[in-house]
Amino acid sequence: MEQPHSILTGAEAVLNIQPNSSLSVTYDTLFGSSHNHMLLELHDEMLPDLLHQSITLRGEPNEDVVLCTLSKTYAVKFVGTSNSVFLIPPSRHQFTQNGQQSVASVIEISPGNMELIETAPRLDRLKTLLAQNPYSSMEALQADDMEDDSKESKMGLCTWHDLVNKIQASDDELRNGLEALSAVEIDGFWRIVDEKYMGEILTMLLQNSILNDWSLDKLDEDEVVTSLVTDGFPHKLAYHCLHVYGSKVDEARGKSCVWTLDERRVCVHFARQVLGVGKMKLERFMEMWLKKIPDGMNANLEMLKGEVLTEKVGIEMWVRGFSVASLPSNPAERFSVLFRERPKWESKDLQHYIRDLKVPGLSSEGLLLKYTRRTQPTQDAAPVFTAR
Amino acid sequence: MQIEVKCSCGAENCPEWAIVELQGVVEVQPSHRDGIQNLEIGRLCRPSSEEKYTLTIGYHELSGTKVTLKKPLAVLKKVKRTDDGDHGDGSSSGKVELDVVGVIRHKILFKTRPKALISKPPEPAVKERASSTSSKN
Repeated sequence: MEQPHSILTGAEAVLNIQPNSSLSVTYDTLFGSSHNHMLLELHDEMLPDLLHQSITLRGEPNEDVVLCTLSKTYAVKFVGTSNSVFLIPPSRHQFTQNGQQSVASVIEISPGNMELIETAPRLDRLKTLLAQNPYSSMEALQADDMEDDSKESKMGLCTWHDLVNKIQASDDELRNGLEALSAVEIDGFWRIVDEKYMGEILTMLLQNSILNDWSLDKLDEDEVVTSLVTDGFPHKLAYHCLHVYGSKVDEARGKSCVWTLDERRVCVHFARQVLGVGKMKLERFMEMWLKKIPDGMNANLEMLKGEVLTEKVGIEMWVRGFSVASLPSNPAERFSVLFRERPKWESKDLQHYIRDLKVPGLSSEGLLLKYTRRTQPTQDAAPVFTAR
Repeated sequence: MQIEVKCSCGAENCPEWAIVELQGVVEVQPSHRDGIQNLEIGRLCRPSSEEKYTLTIGYHELSGTKVTLKKPLAVLKKVKRTDDGDHGDGSSSGKVELDVVGVIRHKILFKTRPKALISKPPEPAVKERASSTSSKN
């Protein structure tokens, strides 16, 4: 060794060891003290998120932990090894003390590493959590009466910070989950709104549009919200009503946005309202449903796929509310609930009750293969799915 | 609860660590068990320009190769922050974070059983105990 200054130590020395040379592998001075390092297998797509400090581990102590990037959720699996895995950090000193020896010191023997498997977000808990205390007309009235935010009424409510601590899903997936539940942030807490109360706001909105001769596909946000606030609904909820039953068509106008009411969402709302009392004959249902549909909208049974089940009893057709949104998002639980509901499913019905299931690495055909038995009595008959 | 995984060095500058992996267990001679700090485990040698290595532990020699990991490993270290952040949830206990202190892309893997060296080097400090060959000790 002619140039003692160029001697590498630590990890650099191990990784850059020159031909015909050697180095000493030793226990570090810190070996055995409580330095617990964990090894985590990274996927390439995680590197940007890691750089932006947006990777987190989420879960309660009694749950299996998941790792979340901004947009994805991964199950974490510890894979142990019986090999001796010597961990060698970069050297803490620039040069070796004695200037002669190249040394790499081992700080720890690793028992194994954590592997990541992409998984579906675990959002069922979100639904249960928010359903405990939905926002209702009672609360809207109370908010007017007493201004003080009594601590008790906030019990069990969740802020965004609470949710990311409780729900095993990435930020993006959590946001989508809240959107799918039509949740809204009120006074810093994420809430779902009582369906009956939402219905009242929608009904008022529809009445106002008749009174003021508004077109349901060109609703001016300011006008609609102001009128609903005059009718006694909180500003936030008035806006939320537009968001739930409509979509923005024109955002670029600067001042007030223009909204259009979504025919399907409005019609589904009224169908659910009618079927809230239980199952009924198809004719009776159609009669009551169509009566509620606002002018200019057309309702048809196609809209109710995934919301309503039709069944033949004798010669009569009966309908009953059965919403895909009320089903568990875990595939095994989902199919178990579906087959409890109906032992046999035809594909044309079943597809609407599994359309929202997303399992990484499994297509919807794969899901059916895994959780159902497919039978086809004759070649041209529609296939029937039963429980496995 | 939520534990943040942070890389305070910025992923691009994250220092590279190395792994030397071998089968079985390295056992320290009883006389050295009280203080193994700075104790030599063995000598890592690259005898030629090939990516082939030997590791000599006591009077056993292992041969191995340098392996590039299919997926890189992040080296995480638990950090306890004693300051309670402004989360307003009243928790005063320290927040735990995981700091990415390094990244591992390669390891030197010795996957064969050790070969006994004929000439005994003087006073080995540690011996390798891996399967049946250890009976020669």
